[in-house]
Amino acid sequence: MTFISIEFLLFFAGIVFTYYLVPHKWRWILLLAASYSFYATLSGYFVLLLLISTVFTYFTGIVIEKQETKQQKKRAMLVGICVLLFFLGWFKYFNFVNDSIRAISTYMNWNYAIPYQEIILPLAISFYTFQAVSYLVDISRGKQKAERHYGYFSIYFAFFPQLVAGPIERAKKLLPQFKVEQTLNYDNISYGMKRIAWGFFKKTLIADRLAPIVASVYDSPDPTGSQIVLATVLFSIQLYADFSALSDIAIGCARMLGIRLTENFKQPHFATSIGDFWNRWHITLSTWLRDYIFMPLCKGKKKRSEIYVAIIITFLISGIWHGAAWTFVLWGLIHGFYRAFGDHTKHFRGKVATFIRLDQSPSLHKWMKITITFLLVCFSRVFFRSDSVTVAFENAQHFLSPSSWSPSGIIVAFEMFSLLDLVIFSFFFIVMQLYHYIERKNTSTWNWLSQRPAVARFAVYVLIVVSVLVFGATGQGFVYGGF
Amino acid sequence: MMKNIEKYRNAFMDALELEEDQVSEELALGETREWDSLGHMILISTMEDVFDVSIDAEWMTEFDSYKAGKELLNRLGVDFVNE
Repeated sequence: MTFISIEFLLFFAGIVFTYYLVPHKWRWILLLAASYSFYATLSGYFVLLLLISTVFTYFTGIVIEKQETKQQKKRAMLVGICVLLFFLGWFKYFNFVNDSIRAISTYMNWNYAIPYQEIILPLAISFYTFQAVSYLVDISRGKQKAERHYGYFSIYFAFFPQLVAGPIERAKKLLPQFKVEQTLNYDNISYGMKRIAWGFFKKTLIADRLAPIVASVYDSPDPTGSQIVLATVLFSIQLYADFSALSDIAIGCARMLGIRLTENFKQPHFATSIGDFWNRWHITLSTWLRDYIFMPLCKGKKKRSEIYVAIIITFLISGIWHGAAWTFVLWGLIHGFYRAFGDHTKHFRGKVATFIRLDQSPSLHKWMKITITFLLVCFSRVFFRSDSVTVAFENAQHFLSPSSWSPSGIIVAFEMFSLLDLVIFSFFFIVMQLYHYIERKNTSTWNWLSQRPAVARFAVYVLIVVSVLVFGATGQGFVYGGF
Repeated sequence: MMKNIEKYRNAFMDALELEEDQVSEELALGETREWDSLGHMILISTMEDVFDVSIDAEWMTEFDSYKAGKELLNRLGVDFVNE
């Protein structure tokens, strides 16, 4: 059962209905049963792994809290994290490491006997492991009390709206919300439904319509340079629509149950620098990496060059987190390099902008920065999307070749769309940009919409629902659901 | 022996590579090109070393100006008045 299905909508409607019927003290049982049932439909027997990780983290949290000195707490925390990372490492990275060692052994003429192992990646393991790590670290730092109610703790670990692909939540934000009695609230229900509908809109009308078109280029043995350029730009739009849709649905579902999750996106493709991009894209992962990797790495560092090393290590971990492949490692390294190089050249670039008087046209300067940032992000996504390092470098060469950017070549590349697909995609893409434009001018498009006459409001709601029903494409899994 | 306020000013000059006349009460994160997000990390490390305190992630964001930094260090036991 995936988010984009009638089954899920019926399942969720049943949960919401029952949730507000049963007394508060029993709701955790309902949420827990719903979460495990949902996970079981997605990942079968890996429910057992989820259970083991939950029990382990629950007791480790208590053990850490009971330690008397900081040193003892830290030691217990490190043991706990090692065990959690062992699970993650075994299921997600065993074959990656094994294949890499085998490749090196073959190159060096060594004898290496361990063959490829058939290991299935348990869904959501990267997400719930990161939540577990933050929980243990926060207890060790004295910022979080170890939860004694096993039921509430288990929901924190497996809350079905955000289990599969986040947002990655901290215990101190989520746990108290489960304990407060949530009453049936019209605003929560209405807002939640709108966010879910908007998620369906982005997923079925943008992401899943683009997915086969992007794949037709990236899976092709000999794409042209212009096709790579266009497909990479489209992939960036697809990835944003796909992942932000997942967050929209998660946030919407949770809100209908009275739970507020953290926003995960703030129009990342309008970022004016790579640093700004990471403040807007997958925000809960960025803040997690900042708090639990980057800041500890920066402790005691007094030179910019040392901070750059910390940045590159952090992005390297971000890349490895995304997938067990060298393409993701390179993708992470590229972003680390962008961030460090961007900082190093910041003053020089400022001087150039002043010299060519660009700083006298702030709006033009801003849009230039947005365009350059977007293109840098697109270039990195060549590595994110390519199936192997060799192919990634070939595609990157295409992307960087000036001839790939010739307008006539790009126009020809649009032939990857059928005319109908192009018209449908263009229309819904404009609708999405209109939503973003209103969001930039106001704090919330939904608030802005709620101040419009009832007829206009309902026309928009009907447009969203009917568009999804008539033009929505389904059948593609979520890209980030695979991490 | 150097007073804490002098150590504090010197820490700004060392970490952010500022001249003496650039360190004022009005100094704030993001308002000078030297005190950017990365400079902030260096400044925090320097303050930790100079005053032998531990500034954790939550407090780091609190340390967003010259004045706020003094108040934060004061709470961590650094006395700027009766030394």
